[in-house]
Amino acid sequence: MGQVVKIALAGEGGQGVQSVAQILTEAAALEGKEILYIPNFGVEQRGGVSIAFVQIGDEKIGAPKFKTGDIVIALSDRAVRRVKMHIGPETIFVYDASIEGVEEDLPANAKQVLAIPALETANKELDPRVFNVLIMGAVIGATRVVTIEKAKEAIEKKLGYKFEKDPELRELNFKAIEKGIELVERMGVA
Amino acid sequence: MGSKPIEGERKVFMTGNEAVAWAALAAGADIMYGYPITPQNEIMQYWTRLGPKYDKKFLQTEDELSAGFTTIGGVLTGKRAFTATAGPGNVLMQEPMSMAEAMRIPTVVVIQQRGGPSTGTVIYSQQEVTLTCFGGNGEGLRVVYSTSSHQDLFDYTIKAFNTAWKYRFPTFVLSDGYQAKMRESVVIYDPEARGIQMVPTEPYVGKAGTPGKDRPAAHLRNTYNIEEELLEVLSKDIEEYERVAPEIIEYDAYNTENTDLLVIAHGVVFRSAAMAVKELASQGNKIGYFRPITLRPFPKEQLRQATQQAKQLLVVESAYGQLLKIVKDNLYGLNIPIKTLLRPGVGITPEEIAEKAKALLAGKEA
Repeated sequence: MGQVVKIALAGEGGQGVQSVAQILTEAAALEGKEILYIPNFGVEQRGGVSIAFVQIGDEKIGAPKFKTGDIVIALSDRAVRRVKMHIGPETIFVYDASIEGVEEDLPANAKQVLAIPALETANKELDPRVFNVLIMGAVIGATRVVTIEKAKEAIEKKLGYKFEKDPELRELNFKAIEKGIELVERMGVA
Repeated sequence: MGSKPIEGERKVFMTGNEAVAWAALAAGADIMYGYPITPQNEIMQYWTRLGPKYDKKFLQTEDELSAGFTTIGGVLTGKRAFTATAGPGNVLMQEPMSMAEAMRIPTVVVIQQRGGPSTGTVIYSQQEVTLTCFGGNGEGLRVVYSTSSHQDLFDYTIKAFNTAWKYRFPTFVLSDGYQAKMRESVVIYDPEARGIQMVPTEPYVGKAGTPGKDRPAAHLRNTYNIEEELLEVLSKDIEEYERVAPEIIEYDAYNTENTDLLVIAHGVVFRSAAMAVKELASQGNKIGYFRPITLRPFPKEQLRQATQQAKQLLVVESAYGQLLKIVKDNLYGLNIPIKTLLRPGVGITPEEIAEKAKALLAGKEA
C-alpha cells in the first residue's frame, strides 16, 4: 500500500479548514505526490462542524475515508468531540489551546495530545486572517508531509491575486507557516 | 475558441464532478439538462463554465422530471444529451427514464448517490443501486456502470455515450457523493487520441423525406392498446438486451482460484475491499475479490465461475442489501454461504473489511 499520511482537520464552518486542505493538497501536488482529499459536509449552508480528510502518499490512494488519522486537528469545542472517533494509538491530536470546556473530551488513547496557542499567536503576533495558514504550518510541522518551499508556492498560487493588492499579506502568510511549524516543534512531536 | 477541449492527454487533480464535466465535453456531448441537487451540482457548474467555450448548451429545468424528459427531447433531435442527479432527484428521474426504456432512447444519466430514504443525507451512500438498475415501471432494460475512481468516472462517462448510442438503451454512470466531492488525480484525454471513436448520433424525428415513401416512419411509442402488442415489443427488446449483454458486461476479479473467501463489492467500496483483500492475501490468506463494473447487465457467468471456486462469500456495501439481492439472484442454485458487511449510508474503510474478513477466515464468525 506504500506510506500514506492521513490527516483530518476539523473546525467551525468559516474557520478555513477546507482552504487549508486545498492549499496543502496543492503543495503536495506540486511535489508530485498522490493525493486524496474529501471534505465532509452537511445540509447547512454555514455553521456546523466542517471536516477535511486528506491523504498524501507516493502511490494512488485507496479508500477515501479512514478510521484513524496520523494527525487530527480540532479548532473548536464541537470539533474536538466530533473527531474523537478518528483518533487511535498512532494519532497525534492537536487542538487550539484557547478552546474551553473540552477537558473531559480530550482523547485518552492518542499517541500525543498537543494544545497549541494558534489563535492567540495569530491574533497577537500576526493577523487573525492568517490563523488557518498557521494551522497548516502545524500540520506540516507534525508530519513533514510537504516542504515549506512547496507550501509557500501553493499559497502563492492560491492567494497570489490577494498579495498583488496587499503585498504585506504575503509576508504574513509566510510567517504564519513558519510560526505554525515552530509551534508544534516547540511542543516536541514524537 | 479551441477546437478540442482536451488535446492529447494530461494528468490533473480535480473533483469527480469536474471529471464528469470534462468527460462529457471530451465525448462531444452537445447539451446537458439538469436540476440542482447535492452532491451532483458541480457537474452542472463545471459544464456551464466550460461549455460555452466549445459552443455547448445547458438548460436548467424546473425539476428532475423535466430534466429527464428534456434529455429525451434532446436525444430525439439527434443531440448527444445528458443529465445528472442524486437521491430524491433520482426517484423523479425514473419516470422519464422509464419512457426512455420504452422508446429505446439513448439517454445518459450520471448519478451521485446520497444517503436515503427521502432527503437522507447530502453526503454519500450506495442506496440507489436498486433504483438505478430497476427503477420505473419496467424490466430494467438499461445499462448501469458503477465507478470507483475519478479515472473510472472519466472513462465510463465517455463510454456511456457510446454504449447508449450503439445499443439504444438508457445508460447510467452510477457514482456517489464521495467520488463527486473528493479530489484525486486523473488522466483526462481526447478519446480520439486513444483510438476511441464516438458512435455517431442521429435524429429520431424530423428526418428528411416523406415517411413511408422515402424512409420508414419514425414510430415512437410508449403506449399500446392491447396487451399482446406490448408483449410483442417488450419481448423483442428483452431478447435484444440479453443478446448484447455479453458485449456490455464488465467486471474486475483478483485471486479467484480456490479461495477461502471471495469478497464482492462495487463502486467506491470496492477500493476498500481491494486494499483489505490484497493486504490479507500478501499475508498468505486464500482470499480474492470480485467487482461488478456493470450492475446492469450483471456479470452473472463470471461471478458464478468465481463462486464455484470459493468456500464462502462476503458481500460489502454502503446499503442494506441492494448489491446482495442482485448477487443472490445471479447465484441462484449454487450452494455457498454468503456473509455480509452492510452499512447503509456510511463509508466503509479497508480496516473494517479486513477485520470482518479475518474473522471469517479464522472461522470465528458464523
